[in-house]
Amino acid sequence: MKMLLVAEYRQGQLLESYTELLAFAASMGAECAMFLAADTSGDLPKFSGRLYLADVARYGEYNPEVHKLLLLEAVAKEQPETIVFCHSSYGWDLAPRLAVGLEAAQISEVVAVQDGALLSPICNGKLRRTLKSKGQLTIVTIQAGAFCLSEPADGVPTVVPVTGEYQGKTHFLGYEKAEHGGVDLSKAEIIVSAGRGVGKPENIAMVADLAKVLGGEYGASRPVVDSLWVEHNRQVGTTGLTVSPKLYIACGISGAVQHLAGMKKSEFVVAINTDKDAPIGDVADVFAVADLKQLLPVLTEKLQAL
Amino acid sequence: MKLLVCIKQVPDMESKFRIDADGLWYERSDLAWRMNEYDEYGVEQAVQLKEQTGADLTVLCIGPDQVKETMKKALAMGCDRGVHIVDNSSQLKDPFEIASMIAEFAGDKGFDLIFTGMQSQDRGSAQVGVMVAELLSLPAVTTIVDFAFSAGKITIKRELEGGVKARVVTTLPALVTCQLGLNTPRYPTLPNIMKAKKKELLTIAAGDLRQADALQETIKIEFPLKKIGGLFLEGEIADIADRLIRILKEKTAVLA
Amino acid sequence: MEFTRQIYWNIGYGPVTLVPMYLFAGLAITVLVFGFLKRMKMYRLGKPVVRTDQPLERFTDMMRTMLLQTRVLRVTGPGLTHALFFWGFFLLFIGTGLIVIQADFTDLFFDYVFLKGTFYKIFSITLDLAGLVAIFMLLGLLVRRWFVRPNGLETKLDDFIMHGLLLTILLTGFIIEGARMAVTELGTPLAPWSPVGLAIAHGFSGTSHELLLALHRGLWWFHLALAMLFIGLIPFTKFRHILTTGANSFFADRGPVGKLITLDLENEEAESFGAAKVTDLTWKDLFDTDACTLCKRCQDRCPAYATDKPLSPMQVVKRIGELAAKNHEADMIEAIGRDTIWSCTTCRACQDICPASVEHVGKIIEMRRNLVLMEGEFPGTEVMTAMEQLEVNGNPLGMGYASRSDWAKGLEIAGPAEDPKIDILYFVGCYASFDKRNMAIARSFITLCKAAGIRVGILGKDEKCCGEPARKMGNEYLYQTLAAENIAVLKGYGIKKIVTTCPHCFNTLNKDYRDLGLSPDYQVQSHPDFLAELIAHGRLKVAGEPFTCTYHDSCYLGRHNGIYDSPRELISAAGGNIVEMERNRDQAFCCSAGGGRILAEEKLGTRINIKRVEMAAATGTDQLLSNCPFCLTMFEDGVKGANIEESMRPRDIAELLAERLQTTT
Repeated sequence: MKMLLVAEYRQGQLLESYTELLAFAASMGAECAMFLAADTSGDLPKFSGRLYLADVARYGEYNPEVHKLLLLEAVAKEQPETIVFCHSSYGWDLAPRLAVGLEAAQISEVVAVQDGALLSPICNGKLRRTLKSKGQLTIVTIQAGAFCLSEPADGVPTVVPVTGEYQGKTHFLGYEKAEHGGVDLSKAEIIVSAGRGVGKPENIAMVADLAKVLGGEYGASRPVVDSLWVEHNRQVGTTGLTVSPKLYIACGISGAVQHLAGMKKSEFVVAINTDKDAPIGDVADVFAVADLKQLLPVLTEKLQAL
Repeated sequence: MKLLVCIKQVPDMESKFRIDADGLWYERSDLAWRMNEYDEYGVEQAVQLKEQTGADLTVLCIGPDQVKETMKKALAMGCDRGVHIVDNSSQLKDPFEIASMIAEFAGDKGFDLIFTGMQSQDRGSAQVGVMVAELLSLPAVTTIVDFAFSAGKITIKRELEGGVKARVVTTLPALVTCQLGLNTPRYPTLPNIMKAKKKELLTIAAGDLRQADALQETIKIEFPLKKIGGLFLEGEIADIADRLIRILKEKTAVLA
Repeated sequence: MEFTRQIYWNIGYGPVTLVPMYLFAGLAITVLVFGFLKRMKMYRLGKPVVRTDQPLERFTDMMRTMLLQTRVLRVTGPGLTHALFFWGFFLLFIGTGLIVIQADFTDLFFDYVFLKGTFYKIFSITLDLAGLVAIFMLLGLLVRRWFVRPNGLETKLDDFIMHGLLLTILLTGFIIEGARMAVTELGTPLAPWSPVGLAIAHGFSGTSHELLLALHRGLWWFHLALAMLFIGLIPFTKFRHILTTGANSFFADRGPVGKLITLDLENEEAESFGAAKVTDLTWKDLFDTDACTLCKRCQDRCPAYATDKPLSPMQVVKRIGELAAKNHEADMIEAIGRDTIWSCTTCRACQDICPASVEHVGKIIEMRRNLVLMEGEFPGTEVMTAMEQLEVNGNPLGMGYASRSDWAKGLEIAGPAEDPKIDILYFVGCYASFDKRNMAIARSFITLCKAAGIRVGILGKDEKCCGEPARKMGNEYLYQTLAAENIAVLKGYGIKKIVTTCPHCFNTLNKDYRDLGLSPDYQVQSHPDFLAELIAHGRLKVAGEPFTCTYHDSCYLGRHNGIYDSPRELISAAGGNIVEMERNRDQAFCCSAGGGRILAEEKLGTRINIKRVEMAAATGTDQLLSNCPFCLTMFEDGVKGANIEESMRPRDIAELLAERLQTTT
């Protein structure tokens, strides 16, 4: 099976997520080529295969109509059976355009492969759906962090320039960085996160206290940040940060797909939740079925006494 | 100016889901239904734009009879009329089939701007909005968290990963898909709820629209397997705390 | 001698006195009438409401309230002072009236004199003592206002005028009497029947006859002028309360206690809902502002005021009065302030204690209705979310509606559809259905019913929130929608006896739902009443193991429904020795969750629930018993916030009884 993987380039950098695309291809035993709009003289993805490279200086980092046409060029040349994107703000913006252009099925946010069929979560991760495409050509987006290479990416691609003359109606004006708070959770080794289960902004303190006594940082899920109880730069999840600490303690977090995607790479996950069935259990090594408002103070006290 | 906002009725995500008899979707009985949260932001933004420009705003929804309740909420928030595409098996249709129906309806109406949610809370494929734009040859911008209209142009902020936003501008006609936090959806006032009861609700049978072929099929729906090896701690708080500390000492290098 | 007095002695008989006197009086009364007509214009700005039904009962109540000063006396200290002053002044008023009747009518036209003999003696001494008491009580009130200066009592020009004028009238009255007696009554057997006048007469010894006559005459006209001034000033000063406060007890809300206006939401003519301007309130609401004397009893009892929130019921009423008088087109909600409006817990402490029958709570609810129904505004996004949850899942907690009866798993309780032989329908309520702490109460209640041989049915997932928090937050539309659904379900089953473990559900089903079609033959009972009945009839037996505790009267069983005794009986039966908090029964201090505030975060001031649990802790007991899921939730939170979790345990009466159940042997 031939796959065309669509890598991402943003804010002047090649995103590491291309390795996840390679991992997905490997899990399906597919031969793969890659498409990328990037700095043609900069870092290129490490893999051995054809790289359809478009010059980002000419086409822009965000220019979906043009990227679609460039990608169609690559598809025409490569003739893959599957085109794979990351389920990211770039991927979910671009993939459906290709699906319509090629009249192909798109299967979004794939988390696993089972007997050649693709698995995708639905209803906030409470259920899982197995899907098969009915056509020759399939578009797939894969969930962030769902597929990982077992060994570091390696190789030098064969560059095939993509150079069509295209115009788009959408103009990219620039980026706006997130507010700076000094803390960079993506570097933290221990993270204790607060979810909606904390109930009130006053209870964030007990989460922060536990983080402190463990020598780590505190984070939060999206609803907590949306309620302005915690700053945005502490948000863990697809629209916040992706973290990979040694220890991740999820307090009162149900485990919505977007949050899991941000912390699945954690080495050891502890969940504290009163709901035994919460999807966070899918990724938890230990699940303490308890009210965080009761457990956290006791835990902090005992740890302090050590 | 003519506006369209597409909404979907989804179950409340706090519900306990069961798998239906065919094993291809969730069981629809005993669920509480509501407007897809992403679509609420779309309706609110569309209504705000209508208030700014005096535009005409239509809300469209596909589904069985019960979706009328959700459409009434959109009308009460400020939409001028509703279009209900009656389809008792819309949950079995794939995103392309859904997008085709919408594009077929909207194609000859000359909408200047179409609002959709970024994805639905149940299926979450994040495809329909962009597909409608492609079928209608409209520029589309997804994941918008900021919106401003002025002189035929819309200036938008997209939400990217890591808290970064991207500023984009495009001309109308266009389509946008809305992300959570775009605005604060209004609570319908009573006079608007009353007015909504009288607003026009056009009904179109799905069969009257060109039906696209299904491009994909669902093999099955199942509950995700619990992580093997996941250990549950239950009981007295002090006890749980002790056991947890022991586990952390053993299994991680965190508590040296 | 003849025990009588020459009226108009030394003043002048006939037209020389009567004409100027009646002209003066006529002028004063004209000013009084026109003054009130002008104020009536202000009352008329309000919407219609019927407060003249049951006229005989209303009149009787008004008489009792006014003459016996029943409401004033509810606060003993200043209340008794005012009551005595009132009775003194009232007797003097009657006395003067009798003199007018005799001097200007019966004697003038029919030569009939009745102020003579024994009657006159009693008349004399009564009035003297009345005047003396009035002066001393007035001095007492003066000292309170200007020297003791109770916190929050506002003193204005009105108060200076009132105290000054009345004191001068009373004092001059006695001096006039003294001067007269010095000339006409000294040494007579009649004199001792006017002891105060006698004392003053003695004080005049040495004063020349001519001076006494001149003094008497001058002061008499002066006293008359002051009295006429007093009458004329009534509509323009706080003096008006003499008429308005009395009248307000005629127009008072005759219940049911806490009843709100049920809006007709189908009314297509209605342009607006709730109150945004003073003209949206009723005429009674505006009349209230004239009946209010700024006595601050409401403010003293308001739990929001006591915890530094901007709400003072008295200030709200005062503000409305100011707007109605000076600028009735103004934005009332803006003038009063949103934080003020949302801070109310509808505990009714204000309205309950008010001696002037002012209705505070309804005005606030009407303003909330305007904010919610016309503007879609709430005190916070958490409240809007709760409202949306109520619409989607029929409970504000965001729990799936289909799991509403999960708490009852394993308890073998049927719905009325499955078992038509059930004795009572248990309306569980949202908190007992979904909140872990309160599920224990529901289970305890079932245990008690089973022990008593009562067959209980529940509506399960057909039960929706009774709608009360939505209603009190101003969302009348959502409330009526939920209520209509519940009523349809209840009627569908026809079980006529409903029991609740939540006072808010109880109050709403038993009172509010009657306006929406739940007929009186559906009997609704709260759990303390229900359980007390079972014990009284011997169907439920509880072993009394002695313990001490304190008990919190919830606002919705207590002040709203007068249920103070049955919970105490139950606690006694269980062996409890209640050490009452200082503020108990009708003086109980709200837990903070009423008025829909269970849905909201408490962001302003200090925590009401912490204040209340500290009151409980002050009793020296270690158990705080209550009868309401909101109170229980607030107290569980409160003991944590006050750091007294180890020493004060909040519990519901149902749990206590279930623990002490004696299985009949």
